Amino acid sequence: MIRMAETNQPRARSETRILADGRVSVRLWGILDVHTMGDLWRELEERLRPLQAPGLDVDAASLDVRGGGGLALLRYLKASGFTPRTAVTLRGLNSELSQILHLYEGDLKAHQVRRRPQPSVLQELGTATRGFVRELREQVGFVGTMAGELAAALLHPERLRWVEVKRLCIAAGANALPIVSLLSFLIGLILGFEGARPLAQFGAQIYVADIVGFASVRELGPMMTAILLAGRSGAAFAAEIGAMKIDEELAALATMGLNPLRFLALQRVAAGILLTPMLTVYTMFAGVLGGTLVMLSLGFSLPAIYHEMAASVHLGDIGVGLSKSVVFGAIFSAVGCLRGFQTGQGPIAVGVSATRAVVSSILLIIFADTVFAGAMFLVG
Amino acid sequence: MNAKPEVVIVVKDLAASYGSRQILRGINFEVHRGEVFVIIGGSGSGKSTLLKHMIGLFPPQQGEVWIEGQNLVTAEGEARTRLLRRFGVVFQGGALFGSLTIAENIGLPLGEFTDLPEVARECVALSLLQVVGLAEAAHRMPAELSGGMQKRAAIARAMALDPHILFLDEPSAGLDPVTSAGLDALIQELSRSFGITFVIVTHELRSINAIADRLIMLDEQSRSIIAEGNLAELQSQNAHPAARRFFNRE
Repeated sequence: MIRMAETNQPRARSETRILADGRVSVRLWGILDVHTMGDLWRELEERLRPLQAPGLDVDAASLDVRGGGGLALLRYLKASGFTPRTAVTLRGLNSELSQILHLYEGDLKAHQVRRRPQPSVLQELGTATRGFVRELREQVGFVGTMAGELAAALLHPERLRWVEVKRLCIAAGANALPIVSLLSFLIGLILGFEGARPLAQFGAQIYVADIVGFASVRELGPMMTAILLAGRSGAAFAAEIGAMKIDEELAALATMGLNPLRFLALQRVAAGILLTPMLTVYTMFAGVLGGTLVMLSLGFSLPAIYHEMAASVHLGDIGVGLSKSVVFGAIFSAVGCLRGFQTGQGPIAVGVSATRAVVSSILLIIFADTVFAGAMFLVG
Repeated sequence: MNAKPEVVIVVKDLAASYGSRQILRGINFEVHRGEVFVIIGGSGSGKSTLLKHMIGLFPPQQGEVWIEGQNLVTAEGEARTRLLRRFGVVFQGGALFGSLTIAENIGLPLGEFTDLPEVARECVALSLLQVVGLAEAAHRMPAELSGGMQKRAAIARAMALDPHILFLDEPSAGLDPVTSAGLDALIQELSRSFGITFVIVTHELRSINAIADRLIMLDEQSRSIIAEGNLAELQSQNAHPAARRFFNRE
């Protein structure tokens, strides 16, 4: 039986001699385990690699092998790892060691790192295109199915699991209220301060109210809410569903005859569509509050600020902002669910899905906002 | 006269709880060098909790865990790190790192705690994988392996730093009888060849019969050890009734 070594044991050493017949003899001694063999490995690499000898005799009689890792060196030595052009004879091992060494038999080189051939540009392009098409097909299928399920839920609201929708609204919406409100308030402050300086040059600081009101209600309110929710709740949806997939909970649902899409995604998308407009109202209010504070600090009265905002921001603008928020809510929640369903194997896959959910959601939200802006411009 | 066996682990008056829920109390036993020591008991009897306290994952509510003469409970800093390197742990699910290949999983502790050149680390990793019969899977990802293969890979990783002791939590759980028997044979081979002391938590009767040198049995009601000894002693008519029921599957 091999005894075990302490980590601060003296290092294993080697002595190399060239014999009269040209053969090389190496004597090994000292304590050999995974903690002490580093120096010996480098020593043998340096001395034996350049050798051009007809044979190599290794005497391991004085070697105190402790632990399994150290035996890997003997195996490497015996397999001519240090001397690729020279046959190696290993002697001096007691019967016990020789017996253990048989466990290590096998062609080490056969399993060493195999470098994959670099694919050509054409191959990479093909792989990327195939991946893109597959993903597009999945996304179109998901959007179609979700649209159908949502329409069915509108006609038959009892199909939705409202308890779950409520739980999700609290987790993704109510709990996000403080951070959403704070950020929107700060953005209102920033808009106010940044707008006040250039407008002061024209004596038009009163129009800060227009900038803050219009931007908060039509643009920043819905978009900031959606981006925050994408980062906070969209990622959580992806991670939850991804973890469920890895734990085979999705498979369990499917085998029970329950559609995972309806059972999991529908409630999340419904929650996203419901809670985003509600949070957006808070965001609009907090942004306007931040801008109003700046204007008060500039010496404007509250009625003057109110009248200016009321003149520039109409009910239709609030409607546009809320319409956007419904679409953005659907985007971040649906994308979060889709990425969750697309989760691969292993714990890393959950992180990858969450990241993809956030990136895709933000991209799609900004893209949708661009479409809204273009449409509003055309409509006038 | 037989020489007195060398004691490598001493658990003294250990008590453990999760919040107000008492899991273990008054646990005392010793593990000898080179033996396969098995902790048995029904579900919820605290087997895995005991193991997690023995490997220092949880601080005990009370008591001490001595490993090779050093108290793991009070060890701190570098002394604790050195002590932890003396043993390897194989968790129930394998706990292989999903972002690394099997060979990289084994090479990870070698890279962190030894000065071995890269080729040596690779050689040690491949050699250990050969020992557990997984050389072919060296460059595959953990998710691509079956449960039994993951367990064997986890054993290879736990052996990477030449540990003196290996702790295994439910090594046979979820494995088919053939794979489970293969794992038992591997444990026996490693114990015989490398002199590793094994501490194994299991309730698989076949495994217990195949590998156990000595056992303790935990009881959910009393939250303590109700039987201790070798296999024959625990299966004898004089054994604790709960131990007899366990082995008779009553």
